[in-house]
Amino acid sequence: MWERDSWIEVAHNVLAHPLRTALTGVSVALGIFILVVMQGLGFGLQHGVEQQFADDAVNSIWVEGGRTQMAYRGNQSNRPVKLNNGDIPGLATQADTVPAYSRRIRMWGAEVVWENPDGENQSGNFGLRGVDPAHIELERSNLLSGRFINERDVLESRKVAVVGPNIVEELFRSAEPVGAFVRINGVLFQVVGTFEDPGSRWENRVTYVPFSTAQSLFRSDDSFDQIIYSTGAMTTDATVAQSGRMLGWLKDVKAVHPDDSRGVRVDNNNEEYAMYASIFEGIRLFIWGIGLMTLLAGAVGVANILAIGVKERTKEIGVRKALGATNGSIVSLVVMESTVLMLVSGSLGLMLAVGLLTTVAPMANHEYFQNPQVDHRIALFALMVLVLVGLASGLGPALRAVAIRPVEALRDE
Amino acid sequence: MIHLQGITKSYTTGAQSLQVLKGVDLRVEAGELVAIMGSSGSGKSTLLNILGLLDAYDGGQYQLDGRDMAGLSERRAAEMRREMLGFVFQSFNLINFKSAAENVSLPLYYQQVPRKERTRRAHELLDRVGLLDWADHLPSQLSGGQKQRVAIARALAAKPRVILADEPTGALDSSTSEDVMVLLKELNAEGMTMVVVTHENEIARACGRTIRLRDGLVETGMDVGA
Repeated sequence: MWERDSWIEVAHNVLAHPLRTALTGVSVALGIFILVVMQGLGFGLQHGVEQQFADDAVNSIWVEGGRTQMAYRGNQSNRPVKLNNGDIPGLATQADTVPAYSRRIRMWGAEVVWENPDGENQSGNFGLRGVDPAHIELERSNLLSGRFINERDVLESRKVAVVGPNIVEELFRSAEPVGAFVRINGVLFQVVGTFEDPGSRWENRVTYVPFSTAQSLFRSDDSFDQIIYSTGAMTTDATVAQSGRMLGWLKDVKAVHPDDSRGVRVDNNNEEYAMYASIFEGIRLFIWGIGLMTLLAGAVGVANILAIGVKERTKEIGVRKALGATNGSIVSLVVMESTVLMLVSGSLGLMLAVGLLTTVAPMANHEYFQNPQVDHRIALFALMVLVLVGLASGLGPALRAVAIRPVEALRDE
Repeated sequence: MIHLQGITKSYTTGAQSLQVLKGVDLRVEAGELVAIMGSSGSGKSTLLNILGLLDAYDGGQYQLDGRDMAGLSERRAAEMRREMLGFVFQSFNLINFKSAAENVSLPLYYQQVPRKERTRRAHELLDRVGLLDWADHLPSQLSGGQKQRVAIARALAAKPRVILADEPTGALDSSTSEDVMVLLKELNAEGMTMVVVTHENEIARACGRTIRLRDGLVETGMDVGA
């Protein structure tokens, strides 16, 4: 009975001061709202970046030839540098473990013609890659039907192809691609599988053929464009060290000046990923900073309003004391009022923020911004901070107010 | 009912110490209506604070209804205020966001009387002061005289033994002042002990006895039962 009565008294007091209640409520709700929305946006950015890196295996080293920029060991500058089959054993000596790898031959445009047995031939211009079997893991492609290039395809230079979703869509439409025959730049291949690459739009326009087939058909020597090594479970430091050794070895073998950055390139996704991760960690910290500052500003505003509120009520407190209220009951009344106010308006702000994020989130999908979400721990933390600030900021003035002698507080207007 | 002996009180502000009460002796019997008069600075509001257990005294003895009030804890003082004392103030001091009935029932809230019983008793008291029709009005909708009558009803709510009135007519015009004094005298006639602090001679004359304070001491009126 007594308990229920004091809550009724609290509700009455809060509702009897609509302006004060609204001002306090709005600043609390706004503080929570901004913090939670900012955090949500931060998560959105983070998810976006993670999605970008989902394209290729993070644990990989990419080796690529280029053009020299500096004359070295009797060679002119601007000399093309090509990787050759003969470099592979040497590169392997620079690796910590015997790594899975895929060589890659690239052709930007190859004419692909489907020899349709039941109608007109369909043709289009698509990318072509000659690859090794490990390529599917290194590029993080998904096999949709049939099979990928295998060891035997490479050993025997079979004329088989695995096609991307754009090719299926544009050439085969609803027909079954697996088993069909296509001419690629005039050479007949049999389609053995289809794939998709969720991380890259370009990759979906590509036909994969066995590396050896591509090299013998489309290259006059044993050169290739790229080789991708898996680094397995190696640490970032070990990966960086290994790519450094590979680069050094290659520069020596290919007679590229040690300071020439264009002659050969060895990149590793680990390093890049770590860099992006640290950038986004920074952004997240920044967002945290802004959120906390907003919360602090809200809290200071709330403390201010409460302090003024209690000062305004010196007379009321004097009356209550004269009517037999203990100091404790007055302090607890004020503190209960501020806590209720904070909790209710804080929850309102929280609900608004959650509502905004859940309605807007599906609409806001950009490459670098995906799935903003609410971290419930952060929301709860923010609510707790506000409630504590409410307690503290109500408590101080309330204690001062009850210390005033009532008859003095009550005398004269 | 009230028995003060050699009550002293001083306030310290910074380095200065001001002796406000220098040994006040005072006796108020049950059922009396006593006026306390004095110029400003004579110590009458300090005396009222001490009588009302809203402030501690430094020395002397204070007995209320035969009980010694020395060294009361804050909680105990609040309890005594609740049970023994009703207050009426110059500026009414109604809580402006509560209706007349809610104001009147507030002391009962602090006595933990159930809500229904509080409301019933508040209406009874408002009827007693002739304001039953105004029970649901806010103080801002009442005239000065009506506010003071609500305040008196509130002072009566907890069935106190003594009513302490601090300039109860100070903010009222002469005709409403008279109404309020008539009401206070009626209550006194029903047996309520009253102490009225005032600076108006007319009000003091309406009381049974006048005690004059000057420079922290009682001047006249020690002759009990005059």
